[in-house]
Amino acid sequence: MNELLYNFAMWLDTFETSTMLHESYYMYNWIESTHVLTLMLCLGMLFLIDLRMLGMAFPNIPANSLADRLNMPMLIGFAVMLVTGIILFYAVPVRNTQSVWLRIKLLLLFAAAVNAFLFHKNMREAKGDWAAQLKAPKNLQIGATLSLGFWILIVIAGRLIAYDWFDCEYTDPGISQFLSGCVDGQTVF
Amino acid sequence: MTTATMSIGSHRRTITTVVLVLITLIFAFSSARRAMWVDLYEFFLWMETTWFGVIGKTWGAAFAVVEAFHLLAMALLGGAVFVADFRLLGWAFTEVPAQEIMDKSHKVFVVGLIVVLSTGVFMACGVAGKIYWLPVFWYKMLVLMTGILFVFFIKRPLLARDLDEIKPWVVKLVAVTSLLVWVTVAATGRWIGFAGS
Repeated sequence: MNELLYNFAMWLDTFETSTMLHESYYMYNWIESTHVLTLMLCLGMLFLIDLRMLGMAFPNIPANSLADRLNMPMLIGFAVMLVTGIILFYAVPVRNTQSVWLRIKLLLLFAAAVNAFLFHKNMREAKGDWAAQLKAPKNLQIGATLSLGFWILIVIAGRLIAYDWFDCEYTDPGISQFLSGCVDGQTVF
Repeated sequence: MTTATMSIGSHRRTITTVVLVLITLIFAFSSARRAMWVDLYEFFLWMETTWFGVIGKTWGAAFAVVEAFHLLAMALLGGAVFVADFRLLGWAFTEVPAQEIMDKSHKVFVVGLIVVLSTGVFMACGVAGKIYWLPVFWYKMLVLMTGILFVFFIKRPLLARDLDEIKPWVVKLVAVTSLLVWVTVAATGRWIGFAGS
């Protein structure tokens, strides 16, 4: 599997646009800035929805109404983050493929997506006038807490991608190389 | 009391802010700025010797995690700003009184701002000797101060009044300015990382 990912990354690395992106100071930094700045839109909305479910923000606005209104800007932000994230991956494909932090981040993103699906399902199925209450029902509160936890960890993992502590070229064979998916005899990092 | 004095009195904070911004601009384009910048070098070197500075420089992981919380707090702050300003622009929550959205979002904003400032001080101590030389760091400080002054001395007092008494274009101008200022704060902050690398 790691070899397959490595070969795929190597293939991406052969594209001229990948190299151009990587070597362009302004283009790469603008894309990364956009990726980070969109956090304000996407995570900002998500935090407000989660905090509302926990009764910690906007107590007088019905929880479902707040979630419905903020979902769209949150998804727009997420779409921009996704696109810019893919471009950032494409700019440095081999290193990113072998980043333990990116792997953790992707796992957490998957967990957050499952949690978001269940959260919305539970919200649609919730009965009674819960939306006007200070706190949402227990299952929605658990979903909101998990969401906050996942996204805090996603941001931390995302931030750590920039650091090279566990990069293949700096680590000895062992657990970190295993987690990073380093390939024996690889020639390009 | 004359009408003019009463009129000025009711705009005291706005006038104070405008005067402060003017003083800052005059300062920024005068020789006093360079003199103060030179004097501040010792202070920045001292910052690196504080506990924050030592931890930030010694443990990269601690610095990175605090940096992540800085981003998370910025996201929280951004969420509060977006919700409040979208309401002022009439894009969301139009059925809820604007005053209520302003008050509730301001509480979230203050929490975000406190975390942004405290994590920001920690990070600045860790790389004080570097950021001192970066123009973008000073731009960020300028925009951040402008943002804080704008929120507490213009936006909040202005919108504390009955919104029906304020011209709609003024309300929208305040919202757009607020969005621009805080996005610029975030953008200049991100650029510190690039400029310093």
